[in-house]
Amino acid sequence: MASRRTHLALLGTVSLVGVLGIAACGGSDDSSSTNTGSDTTATDGGGGDVLAASDTGFSTGSPKAGGTYRIATPDLGFTGGFDPSAEYLGWAWGLQQQLLNRGLVGYRHIGGTAGTEPMPDLAESIPEPTEDGTVWTFKIKKGVKFSPPLNREVTTKDIVYAFERMATPSVGAQYPNYFTMIKGFKEMSDGKAKTISGIATPDDQTIVFTLTKATPDFPYRLAMPASAPIPPEVGKCHTKAGEYGRYQLGTGPYMIKGADKMNISSCDAQKPIPGFNPTDGITFVRNPNYDAATDSKEQREALPDVIDISVNTNEKDVFDKVQAGELEEAAGLSVPPEVARKYVGDDTLKDRFRSNPEDSTNYVTMNLAVAPFDDIHVRKALNYAVDKQAMQRAWGGKLYGDLTGHVIPPVLLDGDTSIDPYATENSAGDVEKAKEEMKQSAYDTNKDGICDAPQCKGIVYLNRNYGAYAKITPILTQNAAAIGLGLDVKELPTGPAYETLQTVKNQVPIATNARWGKDYPDATTFAVLFDGRNILPTGNTNYSLVGMTPEQAKKLGIAYPKTPIPSVDADIDKCNDTAGEDRIQCWKDFDTKLMTEVVPWVPYMNALHTNLLGPAVTKWEYDQDAGESALAHVAVDPSLQK
Amino acid sequence: MGFIVLLVLVALFAGPLASLIGHGPNELFQNDMLDDFGLPKGPNGDFLFGADASGRDVLVRMIYGTRVSLKVGLFATLVAVGIGVVLGLLAGYLGGIVDTILSRIAEIILSLPILLFAIGIVTACGASKEGCARGYVKPGVTLVVLISAFFTWPVMYRIVRGVVLSLREREFVDAARSVGAGPFTIMFREILPNLISPVIVYASLMVPQAILFEAYLSFLGLGVPDSIPSWGRMISDGSAIYDVAWWLIVFPGIILLLTVLAFNLLGDGLRDALDPKSDR
Repeated sequence: MASRRTHLALLGTVSLVGVLGIAACGGSDDSSSTNTGSDTTATDGGGGDVLAASDTGFSTGSPKAGGTYRIATPDLGFTGGFDPSAEYLGWAWGLQQQLLNRGLVGYRHIGGTAGTEPMPDLAESIPEPTEDGTVWTFKIKKGVKFSPPLNREVTTKDIVYAFERMATPSVGAQYPNYFTMIKGFKEMSDGKAKTISGIATPDDQTIVFTLTKATPDFPYRLAMPASAPIPPEVGKCHTKAGEYGRYQLGTGPYMIKGADKMNISSCDAQKPIPGFNPTDGITFVRNPNYDAATDSKEQREALPDVIDISVNTNEKDVFDKVQAGELEEAAGLSVPPEVARKYVGDDTLKDRFRSNPEDSTNYVTMNLAVAPFDDIHVRKALNYAVDKQAMQRAWGGKLYGDLTGHVIPPVLLDGDTSIDPYATENSAGDVEKAKEEMKQSAYDTNKDGICDAPQCKGIVYLNRNYGAYAKITPILTQNAAAIGLGLDVKELPTGPAYETLQTVKNQVPIATNARWGKDYPDATTFAVLFDGRNILPTGNTNYSLVGMTPEQAKKLGIAYPKTPIPSVDADIDKCNDTAGEDRIQCWKDFDTKLMTEVVPWVPYMNALHTNLLGPAVTKWEYDQDAGESALAHVAVDPSLQK
Repeated sequence: MGFIVLLVLVALFAGPLASLIGHGPNELFQNDMLDDFGLPKGPNGDFLFGADASGRDVLVRMIYGTRVSLKVGLFATLVAVGIGVVLGLLAGYLGGIVDTILSRIAEIILSLPILLFAIGIVTACGASKEGCARGYVKPGVTLVVLISAFFTWPVMYRIVRGVVLSLREREFVDAARSVGAGPFTIMFREILPNLISPVIVYASLMVPQAILFEAYLSFLGLGVPDSIPSWGRMISDGSAIYDVAWWLIVFPGIILLLTVLAFNLLGDGLRDALDPKSDR
């Protein structure tokens, strides 16, 4: 359900020069790329070490430790009950990685390139793989303890248990696909084995992963929260989907308020931790067992004493309170354009409006198995016809997204923005070019550039029914009509819209209700959307059905189109087997092929994440990995709070 | 009355009016009427009532919105009146078990919280691509009409039943019965013509309720789709940014207020004219 993760949050930017040369990052506390270049420099206010703000960060006055950092969100929106094994919401990942659970590998939790370089966290270093890249041996740091009431030191067996949870179907893990190349993982998830044969723990400080094939991006995968240690004493009591979220004990600088009072003497004695109620909010307080000496300030400064996240469904009220100093931030919400306009136009406020790349793509998806989009010329024509500038404006303008002409965010392609086969002047669409393309389609029977076959009318178009999504509807409808495509608009709430789109039998011809962002900084996390082997009857995210075979269509109970559907499976495999510069180039070629020979989408914008900082915020960073505020690096001045 | 006639004319000639203005109801004027933040610009010479958040002409959409409001108001009332009158006649004239069953059903429906149930039904029908009731009912004007009628026919039913209970004891009914007229003949030939006055009076008062009902649902995002202009949805869309775009709620709000007021005044007037028992 990566899409859920995408629609609510998602991840960051970055120029990935030397991507996946990650082993070289291991071990050091290299801070050369952070904490420089800010026009407002933080100082150590005496309440603990405070790093200067990064290029994408913010600081003012004298940031100090202490205080309560208050956030409101319209809905916690957790997709897996906040259980680290299952959760797939980007914002939740940020909370897990920065506040609660330390995994083998982590990030700096800042914006920009430096924010997506993997760093050792629980691990002493990120090792070089051996045995042709198939064996990874990690040593973990000593002295890292679980929070009260467990109070014991973390061992590598706790990491093994985290992986075993992912391979336990009842837990409802949402991205075990990233770990199926671990030897024996699939056997356990299929119920053929009780443990994962490819993970060994020679001692409490060592863990060895044996993979079935070289996986250059393995450290990135280990940075995902599901692989962080989970204590079996508690975890084994909660193996239903999402259940462990309210019982979790971690190793980070914070714990859920009240965790220390939990009775863990038996499974029956355990009660949900009171500081987390899915309908009201979640409160984090300091974990007394956290030893900053085992961590890096680069990764976690952990300045506030308390981080309080409350649910408030009134968006206007939330932003009014942020502006008034009654809240420090909003989460799960984009800053309303009218508020952004006010802040950007005021020199005293403009630094408190933040806009950073999410590393996500907004797009129009077209179904290659449904007429008239089974004709590549129709798909290309729509690419020419769409007014991307208008789409961008619907989202709030340039501060809310960068226009794009291809699938994979440029930041994952070494900043390459040259792929734009359907470029039009000012990205405003070109009806004449679109008509020229349409003339080549079988659905334009009289070759006048207008789709005129019966299949061109009443095309079901699915979208969400609120906010910027709803503003997209009239734009696309008008653009499509210009080349004869008559769209029959179906607007649904977020959940039903996703369910409708992800159920293959519904055969939705065209939709704009979904977005996609990276799971980690590599283009493979976009390529999965076009892998024909990933097509599922329900929960399908290959919305365009790229690579679907006639046999698959038969199994899915849908008609296979007369025009064969192209496949990029071999291209994906080829890129996944490469590393370094070759990998980047491979993904660029893949993206170009997608946009010229497959054309599953009309990609129109790489979204920017917007944040509004209240007057009491004295330090703030953007977490490029989570695509949200980096709570590991925020500070608040209680005297400025209301 | 004059205002209602004007509304009807506006609804009938929405197309020519829009052509006169030069803007379509779904035509986008993003470059001219949205700023760099995608926020709408206010009233000016070309856009007398300003633009909405998608850059569409608010005045033109209000003109087209008249169609939705009148369509819902009139059709929902017609359906409710049709059901209410027929069942009221049956219950009032036949009495007995028929009366008991129909009256209990009407009371149950009247006791339901209409908006809550309506939201539930519209959400259920709007939660999937197919709609509900095997795809026969889909979100939109028809669904709003059906829901409104379903919840309001008992009002008409009770009025008609009460009047029929009194009429069936009158001499002209006895006379008809004595010459061999059957119950249905008596109901529809003898009694029904005598119901016209109360039915017209109360029907005219049901119209504004239905118009408001559509506005409520559209305000909640559950009424008609965005491509069909509706005053309720316009107010709803505008409410998010009313502090920077007041025209989005003020103009549709005023027209909705005036329309409801006009129909209420019409109903009052008809009651005064047709009901001999009312105080004038």
